Amino acid sequence: MVSTPTKRVGDSAGPNGPRGVSAASTARGSDQSPGAQSMKKRNGIQDDLARRLEQDFKTKHLGVLGVLAWILLLHVAGIYFFTKGFLLTRMVLDNASSCQVLPFDDASTQSHSTPTARHGGNGCWHEKSFDKAVVIIIDALRYDFTVPFTPTEESDSAHLFHDNIPVLYETAVNSPANAFLLPFIADPPTATLQRLKGLTTGTLPTFIDAGSNFAGTAIDEDNLVAQLHSAGKRLVHLGDDTWQSLFPGYFDANLTHPYDSFNVWDLHTVDNGVNEHLFPLLRPENRTQWDVIFGHYLGVDHAGHRYGPDHAAMAAKLQEMDRVIRDVIAALDDDTLLVVMGDHGMDKKGDHGGESSDEVEAALWMYSKRGAFGRLNQQTLLPPQHPRERSVPQIDLVPTLSLLLGMPIPFNNLGSPIEEAFVGPKGNNWANLVSVNRLTSAQIKRYQHQYAIARGAGDDDESLSLWSAAEEEWKIASKSTAKSTTVRASYDLYRKYQRHTLDVCRGLWARFDVSNMIEGVIILFAGIAVLVLYARGLKADRTELTPQLLSSICVGSGLGAVAGAGLALFGLTNMALLDMSVLLAALGGIIGASLALVKKPTNLTLPLPNGMWGWLSIFFTVSQSIGFASNSYTIWEDEILLFFLTTFGVCAGVSSMRQKLTTDRVLGVYHSILFVILGRVASFSRLCREEQMPFCRSTYYASSTSSVSAPWQLAIPFLVMIILPGVVRAFYAGSKSYEGAATLWIGFAFRFGLLVASLFWMLEGADDGEWFSLRKENLKSIRVFLAQLVFAIAFGAGTGAYLYSKPCVSISVNKPQPDDPNNPPAPIIAGQQQQPRTTVTILGFGNVYGTRFFFLVVNFALAIILMQKPMGQGAIALLVCQILSLLEILDTNALTLTNSAIGPVVLGVLGSFYFFKTGHQATPSSIQWETAFIPLSTIKYPWSPLLVVLNTFGAQILAAIAVPLTVLWKRPLKTHDRDSPSSSSPSSKPHNPAAKLLSDVVQAACTHLLYLATINLATTMWAGHLRRHLMLYRIFSPRFMMGAAVLAIVDVILLLFAVTGVRWSILSVGEIFGW
Amino acid sequence: MASETASPTVNSPSSTPTQAPVEKPSTPPVNILPSPTARIYSLVHPALLLTLCTLRFEALVADPIRELLADLPWLAFLQITYVLICLPPAGTTPTEASFPAPTDGEDKKKTPPRSPSGPGVTLRPGKPGLRRKQLAGKHDFAGVWAKLMPAFLSLSLTFLLATPILAVLLVLFGAPLTTHNPETVLCAAHIALLCATALVYVHGVDGYVWKEVWGISRPADAVWGSALGTGLGAWFGAIPIPLDWDRPWQAFPITILVGAYIGYAVGSLLSRTPLLYGKRIQFTPVEDEEGEKKTN
Repeated sequence: MVSTPTKRVGDSAGPNGPRGVSAASTARGSDQSPGAQSMKKRNGIQDDLARRLEQDFKTKHLGVLGVLAWILLLHVAGIYFFTKGFLLTRMVLDNASSCQVLPFDDASTQSHSTPTARHGGNGCWHEKSFDKAVVIIIDALRYDFTVPFTPTEESDSAHLFHDNIPVLYETAVNSPANAFLLPFIADPPTATLQRLKGLTTGTLPTFIDAGSNFAGTAIDEDNLVAQLHSAGKRLVHLGDDTWQSLFPGYFDANLTHPYDSFNVWDLHTVDNGVNEHLFPLLRPENRTQWDVIFGHYLGVDHAGHRYGPDHAAMAAKLQEMDRVIRDVIAALDDDTLLVVMGDHGMDKKGDHGGESSDEVEAALWMYSKRGAFGRLNQQTLLPPQHPRERSVPQIDLVPTLSLLLGMPIPFNNLGSPIEEAFVGPKGNNWANLVSVNRLTSAQIKRYQHQYAIARGAGDDDESLSLWSAAEEEWKIASKSTAKSTTVRASYDLYRKYQRHTLDVCRGLWARFDVSNMIEGVIILFAGIAVLVLYARGLKADRTELTPQLLSSICVGSGLGAVAGAGLALFGLTNMALLDMSVLLAALGGIIGASLALVKKPTNLTLPLPNGMWGWLSIFFTVSQSIGFASNSYTIWEDEILLFFLTTFGVCAGVSSMRQKLTTDRVLGVYHSILFVILGRVASFSRLCREEQMPFCRSTYYASSTSSVSAPWQLAIPFLVMIILPGVVRAFYAGSKSYEGAATLWIGFAFRFGLLVASLFWMLEGADDGEWFSLRKENLKSIRVFLAQLVFAIAFGAGTGAYLYSKPCVSISVNKPQPDDPNNPPAPIIAGQQQQPRTTVTILGFGNVYGTRFFFLVVNFALAIILMQKPMGQGAIALLVCQILSLLEILDTNALTLTNSAIGPVVLGVLGSFYFFKTGHQATPSSIQWETAFIPLSTIKYPWSPLLVVLNTFGAQILAAIAVPLTVLWKRPLKTHDRDSPSSSSPSSKPHNPAAKLLSDVVQAACTHLLYLATINLATTMWAGHLRRHLMLYRIFSPRFMMGAAVLAIVDVILLLFAVTGVRWSILSVGEIFGW
Repeated sequence: MASETASPTVNSPSSTPTQAPVEKPSTPPVNILPSPTARIYSLVHPALLLTLCTLRFEALVADPIRELLADLPWLAFLQITYVLICLPPAGTTPTEASFPAPTDGEDKKKTPPRSPSGPGVTLRPGKPGLRRKQLAGKHDFAGVWAKLMPAFLSLSLTFLLATPILAVLLVLFGAPLTTHNPETVLCAAHIALLCATALVYVHGVDGYVWKEVWGISRPADAVWGSALGTGLGAWFGAIPIPLDWDRPWQAFPITILVGAYIGYAVGSLLSRTPLLYGKRIQFTPVEDEEGEKKTN
């Protein structure tokens, strides 16, 4: 605690030069003069004033937080409306097929005349082929895993994932009547939950399905499991517990054994569990206990997520699956159907979720000991070499399995029966083939009719004509005796009808609600307009405007909400009540805010940049926004951001060359060069997206087909630990600020935290490479402890340090001996007798605000570094260095005090750039889900999603935290003018320099938001505009989702941490140096 | 307040304060020589370069390395011809004569051109000597020598200094580091010939001028306009590279080079118009202007 005199000294030190690294000043000794009485009074008034200024600052701080919170709500509302119209929806019909009702319109007549209508023991709708079935899902079984490797070019060589599960191919080739193997194409999104829905209901996934079902709610559509259950079959489920949330209560409780599906680090628990319970059930004595077993193996998927496909662990896992399938075959009886399939594939790194070829190309294999399968002709005898030949959509499994087991086809099915399963061992059972296709077509027709009614639209004419043509052919074929060609023709027509309907539905469910999308865009656009006005168009102190602004926003939003509710209640609009009031509240708030901002025209300036830096900021923002209209610029965003950053660095160097002061010039040029080089070094860390191939080489992991780090990369965390604290220290030392808490926090705590993080990643590497013979569980618990320790340092101790530490200054007082002959005579100033001079030296005075606030960046950097893979840790360390260089550039080019837009905008560019450098891309499959398990061993809400966010958007979060520094770094200390007789009128509102500082911080924060909001609006508009574009789901839609997520997250970070954190920074400076 | 003498300008010879050159132009814009040949060729030269660029474009797309290498001597020859015919060599401009020594001592570290001629001091006495000779009498030999010497200097500096600097800059802007190295270096050499040859020929190793060059604060003239135009052209030339048009000319150095050539011609011609001649790019203050930058 610093004593009062020293504090007074600090006060008078205020007007010293901005870059003064030390300040010497005078102080009066203890009060012994005759004027002591009046001085005490004066002090009292001063203290009172300081208290009022402090209170004033705190109030204003809360006010600006309110404004930021409103901006966040506005963005969320805009994104909500757009998303509502953009993400596709499908109506879910409750109808269910039943055994007694055939799908034909004239069911009563048909049921007598066809043999297919036999009910009871032989199955409904169609004669069953099998009594029982074992359905095995090998999660992420890609098609090319199952077929022998054949090089397409000279240079091709087999990967580790090739030729390890040969049983499927062998059986299909050696005994075609017993088995067939086909490519099995998934409908994206290729997430297991979505796939299981498709595989059991036969419908196409839409976004809203994805949205509403991520919580894992039960399937309420008609589906295969429900049909089996209602037919009284005993169902067993083993493995992935997603099934339990989708089909609660359908499985035999005694025999079913679900396992946690999300722990991707664990390759064996689920698989061993399935094996343990599957094989006993296959024994003859237990065969009567069940009818259908669903076994879901996760090892292959987890090996892919954890190691990537081209890894020995994957080879071992596939070989294990090979043995499992052989064992199952051996244990099978004649009446049981065996199905093995992948629910999706995996991309080059072993992840999935998107719609790239590798992700959607799974394998399907069916086997029966009885020899029930056939081929239509000899060319199709061998399983196709390439996954796009003779592939079947995954929904085809639904009618196939239903009819083979004698079940009705689920009502919403759009799939077709797979011909190999129905054509008979000789490949000539046309009657059967046509019969199942007619049934399937009829069911599809019934479904389409119901859907059209529910939607209030007519049936599709082309489908109807195809259907009637097929029926005509079928009638002729069923009467005539020489029917080979007509039967074939009717089969072809039924198939054509089914596929046509599938195409129609694909188009139908790509139906966007344009009006909702436009509403969202309008809110986002108006939000940007207000932000432009607030961030760049105000001359006045923003904090002074806050009360008015907030009250107009409240009035506007309130009126809007009421009006919206009224409109909805009186039926004047067909929007839902909540939507209508949210929409009008958002618009009302925007109008209120605009009115409050433009009320005093004297406060306004044209929000156009003056000078090169302003134009450069606009150029970066706008050109990038325009670029998102092109898929190429979206794909190559990382390279373009590097180009922009280098451009900024060169501009900064040029501008530094123009500085008049040599120190400014040299420092400016030095940091510009450093900035450019650091950016280029960081650019070597890349994770390529599929579309960048072949012009890109991934370096983020050991290889492009892996998701573990190379051993040499494990050195990066240690290098970061050694270098990064020293670099931060050097920047502090530049302003002599490496004092006080800085020595402890940066020199020790930060370094220690980084050391623990590097140990964590070394153990992780040891686990991956199996270097130690330690048990996996022990290793895991040590790692969890280390990771939690880092979090405790960063967010536990770090927050404490941030809240309570003093500014990074060191104050030393030299009191001369009273009778020191060298002591100059006490000067007489303002008629007061001065006491002997006391020299006070304050080190670190030139950067009090900046160094104090930077602690927050250090805390977040530590946590974010822990959450990145080793390569990403190097990238984040480079980001910290680049941020510091940027701050020095801003300072030497006099951009800190002028509130230039360039600082916050370049921070935005840096955030986006390092998003790519930490192993991410704007694709869903690049999300590193496994990082949720860094400090936890199981999924825990809400922490697990937050951890993934910290990993994914770590760079943007860190950049956002640093935004206040663009005005705080090396900001000269300013306190209220003590000499002015402000004390004489204590009631009048004193000028508060802290409020000006706060206003500048908010301006910087809003400028940063402006950059991100513009990017978000651009990606939103392009996604909406290009909604029929071929690349929508691969490129534009993921980029839109990323932009929206980044905007919302940075809103929250600025609100909760960055701008909030400024409070303690300024309070602690005020406590020492006064207000 | 830190003193401005603190760092590299220690041997500043006169009392000229360091900030003077920024406020006051050290060297006025350079005019094309007044002779009719010079005036005509100064217009023909950019057109000639563009024609060359157009004619060789297909060959460039087909085999960039070979074509760039083969064109390099020709480009060097054309540039030297241009400066010999059209521009006054370093040390002969009347203004520089009237503005004596103070320039040279400045900012050695920023003026790489000094190094090949050994320690800084030796060259300086030579230059006034040349100047005197030139002024004394227009002997053929002296006149030719006064031109050839800077021409040789400019060529060697272009290759020895400007090319590596530009190559590094290209890489910093995102040119591949592990592959395409010949392309990068050749591209840098072409850009260096376009922008640096005339600058060195006209200004020699004048520290003030080079500081203005690094600060992009030279007044517009044919020399500076073409240099800046080359940089801007190359910068804009990078834009089409990522597009998925699958054209062979989108390969790495081609668009940048074509941009540089176009920028050279446009900058060289535009900067001579009365509208721009003598104007400077303003950075911070009132004037808005110029987002832009150097190569790539």
